[in-house]
Amino acid sequence: MDILGAVVTFLVAFVVGMTYGGLSRKITARVQNRKGPPWYQNFIDAFKLGFKKSAIHHGVMHHLGGAFLMVSSVMTLMIVPVLSHNNWFPNLNFQGDLIFLLYIMTFGPLGMALGAGQTGNPNSAIGVTRGLSQMVGFEIPWVLALVALMIQYHTTSITGLMAAQAHSGTWLMFSSPFAFIAAVMAMLGMFRYSPFDIVGAPTELASGPVSENGGKYLFVMMSSGSVFTFAKLTLYVDLFMGGADNLLILLVKTFALYLIPMLYGMTTPRYRTEQAVRWFWGWPSFFGLLAILQAVIF
Amino acid sequence: MEMIHIIFLIFLGGAVLTYFAGKVSKVLQDIFFLLSVLVPAYLFFANVGIGKEVTLTLGGIPLVWGVNHFSWLFSLIVLGLGSMAAIYAIGYMKGKERKGYFYFNFILSIMAMMGILLSLDLVSFFIFWEIMTWSSYLMTVYNGHETQRIGIKYFVFSAIGAYAMLMAIVIVHHVAGSFMIGSMINFYPNMSLSLQIWIPILFLMAFGVKAALMPLHVWAPDAYSNSPMAYTSVFSGALSKMGIYGMVIVLVTMINQIPQGFWFREVIAWLGGITAVLGTLWAIKQDDAKKLLAYSSVAQLGYIIVGIAIGTELGMLAGLFLAVMHALFKGTLFMVTGAVEKQTGTTNFTEVTGLIRKMPWTFFAALFSIIALAGIPPLGGFVGKWMLYEALITSNHYLLVIVIFFSSTAAFLYCYKFLFGFFLGQEEKEWAHVKEAPVVMLVPMIIMSVLMFVLGTFPGLILKPINSGLVDLGYIDTFKHLWNTSIIFNAWGDHVVLQPILYYIIAIFVFFALFLTWKGHKTTRYVTTKDISSSGEVPAEDENLTFSVGFMQPFLRAVAPAMRRQIDKYYTGIADGLESLFEFMRRIYTGNGQTYAVYVIVFVVVVLLFKSVLF
Amino acid sequence: MNDKNSQKIVDIIQNWARKHSIWVLAYGTGCGAIEIPPTMTSRYDAERLGVRGAATPRQADVLLITGYLTVKTMKRVIRVYEQMQDPKYVIGFGSCTINGGMYYDSYNTIKVLDKYLPVDVYINGCMPRPEAVLSGFAQLQKRIAEGRANGAQQYKDNLEWYRANQKKIIPNWIMPDYNW
Repeated sequence: MDILGAVVTFLVAFVVGMTYGGLSRKITARVQNRKGPPWYQNFIDAFKLGFKKSAIHHGVMHHLGGAFLMVSSVMTLMIVPVLSHNNWFPNLNFQGDLIFLLYIMTFGPLGMALGAGQTGNPNSAIGVTRGLSQMVGFEIPWVLALVALMIQYHTTSITGLMAAQAHSGTWLMFSSPFAFIAAVMAMLGMFRYSPFDIVGAPTELASGPVSENGGKYLFVMMSSGSVFTFAKLTLYVDLFMGGADNLLILLVKTFALYLIPMLYGMTTPRYRTEQAVRWFWGWPSFFGLLAILQAVIF
Repeated sequence: MEMIHIIFLIFLGGAVLTYFAGKVSKVLQDIFFLLSVLVPAYLFFANVGIGKEVTLTLGGIPLVWGVNHFSWLFSLIVLGLGSMAAIYAIGYMKGKERKGYFYFNFILSIMAMMGILLSLDLVSFFIFWEIMTWSSYLMTVYNGHETQRIGIKYFVFSAIGAYAMLMAIVIVHHVAGSFMIGSMINFYPNMSLSLQIWIPILFLMAFGVKAALMPLHVWAPDAYSNSPMAYTSVFSGALSKMGIYGMVIVLVTMINQIPQGFWFREVIAWLGGITAVLGTLWAIKQDDAKKLLAYSSVAQLGYIIVGIAIGTELGMLAGLFLAVMHALFKGTLFMVTGAVEKQTGTTNFTEVTGLIRKMPWTFFAALFSIIALAGIPPLGGFVGKWMLYEALITSNHYLLVIVIFFSSTAAFLYCYKFLFGFFLGQEEKEWAHVKEAPVVMLVPMIIMSVLMFVLGTFPGLILKPINSGLVDLGYIDTFKHLWNTSIIFNAWGDHVVLQPILYYIIAIFVFFALFLTWKGHKTTRYVTTKDISSSGEVPAEDENLTFSVGFMQPFLRAVAPAMRRQIDKYYTGIADGLESLFEFMRRIYTGNGQTYAVYVIVFVVVVLLFKSVLF
Repeated sequence: MNDKNSQKIVDIIQNWARKHSIWVLAYGTGCGAIEIPPTMTSRYDAERLGVRGAATPRQADVLLITGYLTVKTMKRVIRVYEQMQDPKYVIGFGSCTINGGMYYDSYNTIKVLDKYLPVDVYINGCMPRPEAVLSGFAQLQKRIAEGRANGAQQYKDNLEWYRANQKKIIPNWIMPDYNW
């Protein structure tokens, strides 16, 4: 339980996540044939939001909603082993568990939903219902992929799966390809890029759950989003791409993975909520079932 | 006169006394009621030892009562939840009519449940089962409306189950020679194969009705929502566990001894899984909080049944731990609904909204219960769900994992709907007068919420009695192998240490809550929910901006194909078909003397013609 | 001395952050809003300066009064302005905000925006081309860096004067009467 290590991990995740956000804006701009903001733009946004002063507040639950969101993101970060074979970023002292991760990942949106609910804005409530429905959608292929991995390697912990990769020498991406495909398709839903961004669409819904969040609340949301992005990407790298020994390789691998939802999002229009949910239960779940079949048979 | 006799006498006498004390004074009635529930609870936990047997001979049949570890675990649920609900009921029933009726049936239900747990022979089991059925039936018709549809449906289902059980009991007595449950279990391997299959099926019909297993669950939503809320917490928290208790005994001690038992358990596990999914989907659709919680109870019981049907130690631990947690959080949720109903007069989400600032303690209890229901760490529901998933994965039930996970994720939807519908959202002027629920109703809710919190970090407190119960049933001791006071393991060696998780979560939560609220406390003022960014308009005081109709519509649209058929319709169809058949047969009684003469002549002719065949 | 210096450093950092990240409320109040999409999109990319759209007033920094402001819109604009969080800026866009522009003798529009809302930067033109818009944003950035863009504080200090002006032209005043 190294407190200093935890704080360092959090800061690294914050910086890397924000940088990825800024890079995403830059790449989007380049794809759209313009120059775009500098790569550190998200930091500037975050600082500006932190320095805002508000004259009103919406009640206790609105404050606690942001706290719940941070709890979820930071706990996810603490569970995921950031660097393998390295003492620089220690996390919680137990074998990181996939099922615990699944549940703590859902705590955040629920808390945020509660916070958004207290403001009374009906747009927030509609956004929340859409977000929760989409979550049910992408959890199915995600869980199918994870269960397939758990069955194949007889372990339910992340470190166990990483050890299996180190032991056999090949990345799980290649030895459980269907699980990887299903998990990447589920990842599209987790990042809320197009085509699954109907939850917080600014023009459709007055940005949904965050419509009453400004200043410090938005700052907490942005940082939580960055930390969560980093944690999720690191989780995928640990599970499917063999983990990383030092920070540079980790950054390269996570950025390669991050390009998938980013580039796919730039070129697709938005799905409605029930279209999105039904899509997740279509091809991604099919690949997930194939993954389970492969795990059982081989 | 043993302690167990005294306990039953206090229950019975207390029930009668409470009923008649109502004619004398209301306060006396309340006092008698509390004493009739709390005193036997105290006596039971203080004085009744495990392993003692007590006999009462009734008409030549010895009724044997005693406690073993397994029934002690369930008596924790029954008496604990019963005491909390009794304290709550004092506040809830204040000002309502027919309190004597309510208290009488309440005490009898608790007595019947304790009787079921303490029975060591089948006759007293059946007697107490029947008492439980009709006392809860009387509660479902407490309101007096729709007694036909709701009450009779519940009673018919329970009766079919109970008579199936009676048939099984008589067969067992005929074959094994004794009414004792122990001798039935010992004799089981010696029965013929058809009996070995039919007796558990008959028993499971009775237990399945009470545990709301598909397709026997159709009475549950209406019955739970029509009883008074103080009783429904006991109804759904403890009474359904009697079905679980019976199921465990049948599944573990009897079915495990035959090779076909594997198929039995698979079928029951899949029925539990389907119950979980469909219960959750129907819960999302409901607009009334009572119905939503009722369907949610059906779904949660599905989890518990899956856990106990799998049969491994981890599965049994998971199922029973979930049973205890379900009693806690469902009891609290029904109490919350009762508190809202008492203060506002309605439990429909489309009518009441925005109560968070008016009933903060109730919201706190509801929040904790919802977090436990959703299975989010650090509260107790997570431990149960973790063990359930691990049990499913390590025992190769892969598709069931997906089914349970789907149901668990979809549960977030109705969890949010419950919290948002009652407490969050717009504050409307018509509910500005609502005050917090009275203290006597708040205290049980808060106590149970704190208990959920404690059990989330120290599950060993409950896992210990569960473990002793399972050892009694014949499992191996799982202490230090599958759990420790604050650590849970699975069969492959992975483990979760719960205490540091709790400390981290609390630290992060406090830090960020402070960060968000610190400087703003003095410089900001609270604004009402009408001060929202609504495109520059200022909503008028009476403008309705509440979003509650069609709340989860996108999701419901996505799962509409799965919810097209209702099992209730099949039963109603069968009932209608039978009714028309009976209508048809009624026509034999024409009331016409000449027709009756024809009947007699035809009968005599037939007998004379076929005399050689008949005689 | 130490306190004043540290306050100055904090101010410099704050202003630097605020200047490079300007979120414009997605509210086109008048016909000048037609020039906003070209400014924001690929050809005249305003995101280079950190300018991007915000959906609700709670998230926005800048209120762009694009063109003429009718009395009907004025009521909503005041409400929106008061729902924004400090520090906030108002940019008067087009000639109509300066002196009434093309509608100088209309019964329905306001002639001098500065009487009703504290304006930080004016961009003149009818309508201003995207290059002019970008130069207006650059001007706002310069003012923020110098610490002179405190329209919000000015509004709070002279609230009664602004209110008096607003109430003079808006007949059915139903806004909540609150202070800071």
